[in-house]
Amino acid sequence: MQNELFTSYETDVFFDEMFGSDGIAPLDHYRSILNRLKSLEPTQIEEKQKQADSSFLEHGVTFTVYGDDEGTERIFPFDLIPRVIPDKEWQKVEQGLRQRILALNLFLNDVYHDGKIMAEGVVPEEVVKSSAHYRQEMVGFDVPRDIFVHICGTDLIRDETGRYLVLEDNARCPSGASYLLENREIMKKTFPGTYQAMSVRSVEAYPELLLRSLEFLSPRQSQKPVCVLLTPGVYNSAYFEHTFLARQMGIEIVEGKDLIAIDGHVYMRTTHGLVQVDVIYRRLDDAFLDPLFFEEDSLLGVSGLMDAYLKGNVALANGIGTGVVDDKVTYAYVPEMIRFYLGQDPILEQVPTYLCWNDQDRDYVLNNLSELVVKSANESGGYGMLVGSASTKKEREEFAQMIQASPRDYIAQPIISLSRHPTFCENGIEGRHVDLRPFILYGEDIEIVPGGLTRVALKKGSLVVNSSQGGGSKDTWVLKD
Amino acid sequence: MLSRVADNLYWMNRYVERAEGVTRLVEVKRDTNLEAEAKGDKRDYWRSALQAMCASEGAQEEDLNDPESFILFSKRWSSSVINSINQARENARMVRDQLSEEIWVELNNLYLFLNSPDAQQTYLQDSSKFFRRVIRFSLVFQGLSDATVHQDEGWLFMSLGKYLERADQTSRALDTLTLLGNEPTRLDLIGVLRICSAQSAYRKRYRGDLNLRNVADFLLFSQDFPRSLRFAIRRIDSNLHDISGVPAGNFSNEAERLTGSVLAQLNFSGIDAMLETGLHESIDDLQKKLIEVGQSIFETYVLLPFEIKNASVPPVVQSQMQQQ
Repeated sequence: MQNELFTSYETDVFFDEMFGSDGIAPLDHYRSILNRLKSLEPTQIEEKQKQADSSFLEHGVTFTVYGDDEGTERIFPFDLIPRVIPDKEWQKVEQGLRQRILALNLFLNDVYHDGKIMAEGVVPEEVVKSSAHYRQEMVGFDVPRDIFVHICGTDLIRDETGRYLVLEDNARCPSGASYLLENREIMKKTFPGTYQAMSVRSVEAYPELLLRSLEFLSPRQSQKPVCVLLTPGVYNSAYFEHTFLARQMGIEIVEGKDLIAIDGHVYMRTTHGLVQVDVIYRRLDDAFLDPLFFEEDSLLGVSGLMDAYLKGNVALANGIGTGVVDDKVTYAYVPEMIRFYLGQDPILEQVPTYLCWNDQDRDYVLNNLSELVVKSANESGGYGMLVGSASTKKEREEFAQMIQASPRDYIAQPIISLSRHPTFCENGIEGRHVDLRPFILYGEDIEIVPGGLTRVALKKGSLVVNSSQGGGSKDTWVLKD
Repeated sequence: MLSRVADNLYWMNRYVERAEGVTRLVEVKRDTNLEAEAKGDKRDYWRSALQAMCASEGAQEEDLNDPESFILFSKRWSSSVINSINQARENARMVRDQLSEEIWVELNNLYLFLNSPDAQQTYLQDSSKFFRRVIRFSLVFQGLSDATVHQDEGWLFMSLGKYLERADQTSRALDTLTLLGNEPTRLDLIGVLRICSAQSAYRKRYRGDLNLRNVADFLLFSQDFPRSLRFAIRRIDSNLHDISGVPAGNFSNEAERLTGSVLAQLNFSGIDAMLETGLHESIDDLQKKLIEVGQSIFETYVLLPFEIKNASVPPVVQSQMQQQ
């Protein structure tokens, strides 16, 4: 017996993850899960979705929405239909990500040391130094193991033809890994048989791999390193993730007030006195880390932390100043970095980018606003963005003014029709746009758990997948060969 | 372990125990009130209850008209049941990595329930169902603390919080009798025993001999009833020594010294001496000492020595709400 769920499903003009570009037959790697879905009674599906939602709420798998009086906790909406990626496809993505994180790290080391890439005119010096997250204080400092970015969340999208493109890198404090792990737990309970039959590659090693890459940084290798996770606190939107990862790794989760810096070393306050800390997995942006060094009124950080860091007595993951590569202007140069440092062609392509500080590009952008996506160079979370095709004349005029006032802060990209994925919606199953955020860990080796967090724009037609903008998520199944 | 974590675990348990104690008090006072009214004996039970819980000051006119709702649901009074559970959960959220999943789920479920319209509705339709839910939660919580939590230092801090709060709650329940303004009736005495879940234990010990002296004796001095003050303080004493590793009888910090002295007082004085001093005054004195014990635990394990000595450095971690 089969339900009617997919009988009126339309792939439209988009690349569909399940039905490909022609939209007629399901792709081979989706067959099992599709059959399973079709075999369910509508009430069973509802029941499964309800179970999943209440399980998230009960377990406190929530994030906090800002701008609300009560600081409401919400669950990150979860969709039961998994995204499936065949092994071969994933291998290429993985190679591309490895190549990319190598280049990004080489770039950061170069930028804060000799600046060869700037001297040779591959990346303009003014672009780097005018970046909001460039840290003059890091010039000449050797970060532990020469690694700046230990955890990177690189967002990938697919265009009309199904080609994977890098949309942006998150090399500061990328979040979402806990949802990836929790989504998997739910899916294993929801579709145990199908999960097993499809031989999905496991993701559960992430916390262990993360801990290993943190311990690798410890300045005191002769003993078991003391690693801690530094959180801004219980009111931070990603607080659940912080406790989740700390618990999975078995390390302490600390707030700024739990740490104290004395004579160039960092200690945590315990019931038995002070204990020296070796590695801090900080989930706090650079500017809040140390009120003596950065924002003077930050209550979240630790006075004297930077002094200890620059003396090499404590390691930070990620390093300071990595935000330079999150800058969407720097992003435009990553293919050049890969060629410059590695002598290779980029394995993963990325979205063509117009840089508004460049006169020629800016003219083009201003004349074609309705066909472009304009983004602020240093905003994240889907803020500070204009999707030309869905904008009003007034919005376009506002952006035109902002671009002219500070061209360095804006870039524009052609509107990519993100791939879509069948998703449970109010009126049955419909296609919704998705992206993919894999998490790349760079320690002794580079490790990437298969897949990543698939984010889905639940609003019809929306291209913005961020949780703060009404996005949800799906489990991502990378299949064994 | 992290000082803040110890503090959070301690307070999480205090607030859970407080929610249970306050709920028990409301449940029984409501009953006693009904029965007394039926007998034409109209007395102000709520006034003495609010006074014993130190809730009268913050209460406003409208609160006094509906004291039950005030004690259960008021956002204004920090020790209302809803506030206690919210704060317990807030503390739990900060130490989620230390808790078993079961404990978290139970606590979070009660939190979600109390903050939903269901809570008021359940309470209005079937108040005893509501009381059972809160009390049952606390008992499950304690069971899970013993059955699913690694019994290390963190667990000892949880236990400290539980017994300090319990000692406090029992003393307050007993104090409602001294605050009545009249000689307590049979009904009042049974009420207090019920608040402390002590009815059958008491009956076994004293048979039918129900009077204020015996009730006070039992709740203050019983050696083996788990809600008596003496029992609770003996646990606090042994928890503190387990944390410091210093043998019982000796002390290595102020918290241990103070606890030892309260315990000695309960071991070597008796009910008659206390009645002579005045029951209310004696209870008051015990409560003050319990507050000092709480404060000295905080100073010993949460603050750094230089933060106590140097008064100009404000304590970075604020002590949470003790009931004064």
